[in-house]
Amino acid sequence: MLFNSLTFVVFFVLVLALHNAPFDWKTKKTNLLIASYLFYAAWNPPFVILLWISTVIDWHVAKRLFIEQAQNRRRMLLTISVAVNLGLLGYFKYGGFLLENFVTLAATAGIDYQPPDWNIILPVGISFYTFQTMAYSLDVYFRRAEPSKSFLDFALFVTFFPQLVAGPIVRPTHLLPQFATPRVATPRQLYWGLALMTIGLFQKIVVADGLLAPTADAVFGAEEMLHPVDAWLGTLAFSGQIFSDFAGYSTTAIGVALTLGFGLPDNFRFPYAAIGFSDFWRRWHISLSSWLRDYLYVPLGGNRKGNLRTYANLMTTMLLGGLWHGASWTFVVWGGLHGLYLAAERWLTARLGDRAIWSKLPVQILLAIVTYFLVNITWVFFRAADFPQAWRMIVTMLTWVTDGEKVLPTVHVLQTVITIGIMLIIHWRMRNRQLQEVVERLPTWFTGLIWGTMVTLIIITQGGSDAFIYFQF
Amino acid sequence: MPSSTSSSDMRRSALIALLVTILLMSGWEAYWRSDGSVPGYRNSEGLWAMERRRINDGEGDKTVIAGSSRIFFDTQLDVWEEESGERPIQLALEGTSPAALMEDLVDDLDFTGILIVGVSPGVAFSGYEYRGDAFKRFEEETPTQWLGQQISLLVEPYLAFYQSAYSLFTVMKRQPWPARDDVLVERDVRRLAIYTRDRNARLYEKVETDEGYAEIAKEIWAQFFVPIEERSEEELKQGLENRNNQIERVVAAANSLQERGVEVVFVRNPSEGHYALSEPMYNPRAETWDVLIERTGALGIHWQDHEELQGYWLPEWSHMTGSEADRYTKALYHVIQRERRQDAQDD
Repeated sequence: MLFNSLTFVVFFVLVLALHNAPFDWKTKKTNLLIASYLFYAAWNPPFVILLWISTVIDWHVAKRLFIEQAQNRRRMLLTISVAVNLGLLGYFKYGGFLLENFVTLAATAGIDYQPPDWNIILPVGISFYTFQTMAYSLDVYFRRAEPSKSFLDFALFVTFFPQLVAGPIVRPTHLLPQFATPRVATPRQLYWGLALMTIGLFQKIVVADGLLAPTADAVFGAEEMLHPVDAWLGTLAFSGQIFSDFAGYSTTAIGVALTLGFGLPDNFRFPYAAIGFSDFWRRWHISLSSWLRDYLYVPLGGNRKGNLRTYANLMTTMLLGGLWHGASWTFVVWGGLHGLYLAAERWLTARLGDRAIWSKLPVQILLAIVTYFLVNITWVFFRAADFPQAWRMIVTMLTWVTDGEKVLPTVHVLQTVITIGIMLIIHWRMRNRQLQEVVERLPTWFTGLIWGTMVTLIIITQGGSDAFIYFQF
Repeated sequence: MPSSTSSSDMRRSALIALLVTILLMSGWEAYWRSDGSVPGYRNSEGLWAMERRRINDGEGDKTVIAGSSRIFFDTQLDVWEEESGERPIQLALEGTSPAALMEDLVDDLDFTGILIVGVSPGVAFSGYEYRGDAFKRFEEETPTQWLGQQISLLVEPYLAFYQSAYSLFTVMKRQPWPARDDVLVERDVRRLAIYTRDRNARLYEKVETDEGYAEIAKEIWAQFFVPIEERSEEELKQGLENRNNQIERVVAAANSLQERGVEVVFVRNPSEGHYALSEPMYNPRAETWDVLIERTGALGIHWQDHEELQGYWLPEWSHMTGSEADRYTKALYHVIQRERRQDAQDD
């Protein structure tokens, strides 16, 4: 079920009403669990079975992991959990990709192998919930957490509908304790939740789909070499589109959870004001970057095993992070570029990082611009359909050869320039602030005016219920 | 969450937001109503899928209409029902070749009725599928899409602004922005019809009463027209190949349907103005329509062959006004029946 659909409006009202009805806590949690399965089944009912598989396996594995003392048995149990979760992910998400690469390799070796078509539908959000359940088993394995005492709580942790299909990827230690005690939203939580839902839907429907998608689609849909202005505008538009789309989902999810009385962690903190790439990854898709840090980078040795190993760990983490996004080499390159940026930043910081000049405002602005510029280069690989297209875009953007095709009409040029300009100013101004801090300083009438205007714009945009970009990951 | 923001502040903000929303939405609705818009059902993929499902829900023996906007707008279901006693299932899709629907129906053994296929040369012989997503929607509709469609149907008849032609960014796009060098901007088709819940389409009155609006529609139809002499050899070759492919598709589908007892009737509705120039130029009757009728052996009703089907008012060259469509539907129905009887006698 999409947040930006009429179905969700009705679903949300019913869930909210049930959650505030005079039932006992166990009944309310059962209601939420059933609602979560319905939310997921609304796309493709049979895929609920995958959720059940993850739930049952990780529930039993974690229980055994907790009581088991023998290290080799604990390893075996963890392997079962990881193999099941990554197995599901591998089969549904990477099966076609692996097969395609195998065929290419075989052809290189002179073997003409023609496999049957790999027509497997990707279950929505599988990358998110498999990582979330794996975190549970891993936490118990590393003795960072105890297994849940309630199967209902655990099943709800795996399936909790606000963040089920596109995050934030929530840690068991964050969400499970919230299911232990009765919760309904306080009036303040309810209103904040509704306000956050409005902001999230505004980002998705008005900014991502309405203002920026037409430019990004036109530019990345072009088959010819483009004029550099168009190539840049398309890339900038995509940078704003993907942020607004994904942050919009997270903000809506956080808002929905809050209206039910639950807190979810922030997933974005104005990332386009980042100064450097460590800063960027502390602001962009925070729940994934911290997951990769805690469950991949640190177990690989992190920065504790010397410089060379640190760089290798960084690259491995970012390459796999890239592959997490999609089964394509363009995503691997996207991750690889981020790995290179992080490695280069680490190298430079070790040599030049302690100079006073870096803290001066003009230099900070310059560094933020350089960071945004380099992030945009990576977005080209993220959005391009294939390498030839990515290469065409990069060449025209960096060489500024002006004999390419212009494809953007004036209205889309204006929409992109104005929207991205406003977005960058907001990100910079909000760099070290919290949204709530700013809102609470505004006069009540002004907050209401902005809020009402956003709701109106959402309605009159008449979004076509376009799926969120991150659903495909 | 900030502790210093009281819930009463947020409640006040929420109330103001609600008032602002009601005020702004009332203004937006009033604006479109003052512009002449009336509420109506949306011609959505979900609605098409609902109608398509009727074939599998016990109405497979009915008359089904396929084709593009001409047969869609020019055929009035009320009139057809009055004349025949049976209300057809309207599955035509504007800007969309009938080939895909015909192929779909070949595989659907529930369909045993009569298939009326509207042939608009520019669409049918190019294979253009402006509304191709409707087929996908029918095949892959998720439970949430189905429910969303049902909910949408509850509000559509009451809101004038709730039409894709009036969505914020569609309206923004069609403002007279200065041109950017030689970038070609395709002008989107404005609202042209009012739809009922079972997809009866009737030309929007504004096309009939507002000359300027009809003029815009004409400009949109003609926006990318290139005289055939200015086409390159390669383009012409490609066009011809495309046309032959489409004829093959339609012939194959028609023959398959006929083999299992489905009666197929092709209908070519009137057009004029720019279309009177472009259609014979790119798709001469002898090389398209006549070939189709000959190779399928189906009944073909061409407006040029029947006096009753001529002389209707098409304010934007392609579609009839509502009242003209009423007259035309009645005439068309009787021409089809007469020709069917004639064919039966000949056999």
